[in-house]
Formats: sequence, structure tokens, C-alpha cells
Amino acid sequence: MNDGSDIMITIKHDGCIFCVGCSSVCPVNAIEAVGTRMKVDNDKCINCGLCVKVCPANVICMKKGAKEKPNE
Amino acid sequence: MKYDHDVIIIGGGPTGSTFARLASQEGMDVLVIDKRKEIGTPVRCGEGLGQREIIAQGLDLPRQCYSTEIFGAKVVAPNGKSIVWKDNETNGWVLERKIFDKWLCELAVEKGARVKTYTRALEILKNDKGKPNGVKISHGGREAYDVHAPLIISAEGMEAMMARQMGFKTVHSLYDVDTCYQYEMKPYDHENLIELYFGNKLAPRGYVWIFPKSDKKANVGIGIGGNVVNGKKGNSHSNGNNNCNGSCELLDGAAPKILLDEFIKNNEQLKEASTLVDFGGVISVGAPLNEFVKDNCMVIGTAAKQVDPIHGGGIAVAMESGILAASIVLKAHKEKDYSKEKLFEYEKKWRDTTGKKLTKRLMLRKVLEKVSDDDLNHIFNTVTDNDLKQTMDGNFAGPVAKVLAGRPQLLGVLSALLPGKK
Repeated sequence: MNDGSDIMITIKHDGCIFCVGCSSVCPVNAIEAVGTRMKVDNDKCINCGLCVKVCPANVICMKKGAKEKPNE
Repeated sequence: MKYDHDVIIIGGGPTGSTFARLASQEGMDVLVIDKRKEIGTPVRCGEGLGQREIIAQGLDLPRQCYSTEIFGAKVVAPNGKSIVWKDNETNGWVLERKIFDKWLCELAVEKGARVKTYTRALEILKNDKGKPNGVKISHGGREAYDVHAPLIISAEGMEAMMARQMGFKTVHSLYDVDTCYQYEMKPYDHENLIELYFGNKLAPRGYVWIFPKSDKKANVGIGIGGNVVNGKKGNSHSNGNNNCNGSCELLDGAAPKILLDEFIKNNEQLKEASTLVDFGGVISVGAPLNEFVKDNCMVIGTAAKQVDPIHGGGIAVAMESGILAASIVLKAHKEKDYSKEKLFEYEKKWRDTTGKKLTKRLMLRKVLEKVSDDDLNHIFNTVTDNDLKQTMDGNFAGPVAKVLAGRPQLLGVLSALLPGKK
């Protein structure tokens, strides 16, 4: 359940090392490995930021005002 | 109902492959699915493994599965003083995980297991009583289809999404993970010892490791607590091609790469070395899951958070778990009884053996994270290699007494390790 704010989690795929750390800490199952990419379901996301904090490669962002754009 | 297989294992890492090998060789029809295109890739691991675990299984590790042999460990205090621990129990390898994982998987195939790569589990299928009886899978993103088995096993590692669907609480808290960054570097002259560097500034709630590899290479990595705050996180777009325009919200969080780069800059040898690979990962360093089995399903290995909380090592614990689980599942298979009660023997035996050992390690981890660098220096000045061995074996009393004799004010912190305390 999204909290309705205009914040969106995005993952910069070309720096992602595919360690799935983000999905292992996501409390709402919003991040999953699909193919060779981590995919974020921003409808499930509650913007808690845990994935941003744990990411060893620092490739996850909380983007403001980006909600209308599809996830990359 | 007609089943396609006797058991479906999600995940073809060391745990899944070990289980698959042992179950197949006793005649079970085993399907292993792995979402990765290639077993063993990408590597997100320090690649260390003790020899005991392989020898105990009667396996002979092929030469190509490891980069180099190791003979012990060198543990380094914040002030630079080191202790070398080298005995007949500290022999091991630094593996080539890509080759090692594939070898283990091939052994399972040779015993009759069916393995499918690039095959993702989308959903756990359940019967009208809500018990798992299959998995909806998709190969390479193509149309999904159902496969059925009376037993579904999650050997998924850190992600454990299907285990969540089976009702297991596999989500990790930041406090109970370490976030890690690692380079393969060259050249580095080493003594075939694993080197571990401790210090609250160097690696808060963790350590820096140098694992030797062949041809003057080494895995140089760092793991720090997931709840550590040492950098700004979430600015990945600022130097990329995305139209971020500074709209990313920066959060305070754990930034292992910053600390690893700092360590390398201050190391006489490494500061001149090249990096050959960048890799990283997040590892579980907390307590195991509160349950491993339910009717018609179970969780094994890292997916069950069966990881050593001191060093974050998972391979040895995972393979042990795979062996134990296979022995119990074979009994269940004979009786065609995959109830929770029947499978629970695996959980009970695990908690009575490996579980007890890991509980002590977790206590030790929680104590160590409260010790200052000055106290760490004192501890390293006081203890010997034998004390280290005692401590890792869970016999804390002797080493703790030694440390307290010289610094009684540590009693408050160390008392958790003394008998009668939890």
C-alpha cells in the first residue's frame, strides 16, 4: 500500500550488483529479482527507505515528484 | 493428486544442491529451480570455506573449485597487533564460487536431480486446505506454468520471497544484517592466511577481511552493520545519466565502500594494487528463523537465516543444513508423510546441534559490538590463539576471565558470556 506521497524508489541498474539485499530487508515484498534486474513495485512500497540504507552499492534512490513516471 | 516430482527445491546454491544430491541418490524425484541464468553467478561472497565441511561429506574438492589453500587466520586489533591462529582445524580454501557452486549442482544432476536455470518461482500453489502443493514457474520470463510436488523447499538464500509466501518470516531487520563491499585485488603478497581487521572506526560492528587467492590476488572486503550510519545514501543518480536533478532524498545509512576505500588507502600494499572485480552483498548475522517447517514445506540454509553471526559465513552451515534436511525428508518420503510433525525432526536436530553453536556466536557478536577500540586492543594483548579457538567453540569462561583480570571494568559488557547468563 503506497502512502500516497509523490516519492518513488528507483534502482540504477548499471551499478546494481544484484545482491538482493534490498529485497531481504523490504518489509512489504515490494522488491524482487526479475531476470537479471531488481524490480520495485511502487504500489506496494511504503517509502520506509530501508533498501536505500542497506544497499552496499548505493544505487537505490528515493526520488521525489516522480510518481507519474514508470519504473525504469 | 498426481505430482510431477517428489520435491521441488527453490534455489541451486550450496544448500539446495547438497539437499538435491542426497535426496536424488536415495531415489527421490527432485526438481531444482534457480532464477539465475548460470548457477554460481553472480558471486557475492568472500569465498572462504573450512576443509572439514567437505571432508565430512566424503567429497573430494576438484582443484578448479578453489583459488588457493589457506592454513589459518590472522586477526588484527585496532592498534595493529595481530594474533595468528593456525592449527589442524583452520585449514580451508578460498573458493572460486562460480565453479564450486556449479560443481555441487552437477553432483546433484549426476545422482539424478533435475535442474532448471533461469527459472523463476512466481507463486507457491496451495491445495484447498491451504497447504503448498506446487510452484508456478516461468522460464526466461516466458509463459508461466505449474509444477506440483508434495514437498516444497526454499533454499533461496537472502531473498527468500517464496518462503515468505509459505508463511515464514524471512524479512531481515537492518540490525540483523551486515552490508558488505568487496574487491578482488592484485597484486597482494600473502601468507595463505585469512586476515581479519577489527576496529570501530575501521569497520563499525564488523570487520575488514583479506582472503588470499592464487597468483597474488586477494578478496579484500568489508562488512558493517546494516544499522550503522557512516554516509549519505541514495545519491546514485547524481553522477549517472538519469534526470535526477537533485530530486533524490538523501538518507543517513551504512556505506561500506567508503570505509573499504579508506582501509585500502592506508594499506601499504593495497594502495598500489589494482581492482579486478567489484562485488558486494548483504548477509544475515542475526538469529535463525523461529520456524523452519510447516506442512508440506520447509526452509533450509541462508533462507532460514542459518548463518554464522560472527563472520557471516553461510556455506558450511548451509551444507550441513542440507544434509540434515535430506536425511529427515527421506524418512518422510518413505512414509509419504510430509506433515509439519514429520518434518519437525530436522528443525529440532538443527537447533540441538548447529543452532546451539550459533546462539553462542550471536551472544558473542552482540557483546563485541559494545567493546571500544581501546578495550579491543586490551583483549588482543591478553588472549592467545588458543583463547580464540576456545571462544569460537563457545567456551567463553577461560578467555573472559583472562581479559577481566587485566580490565575488571569490562565485566558489565562481558558478563553476558559468563555461565548462568543469557
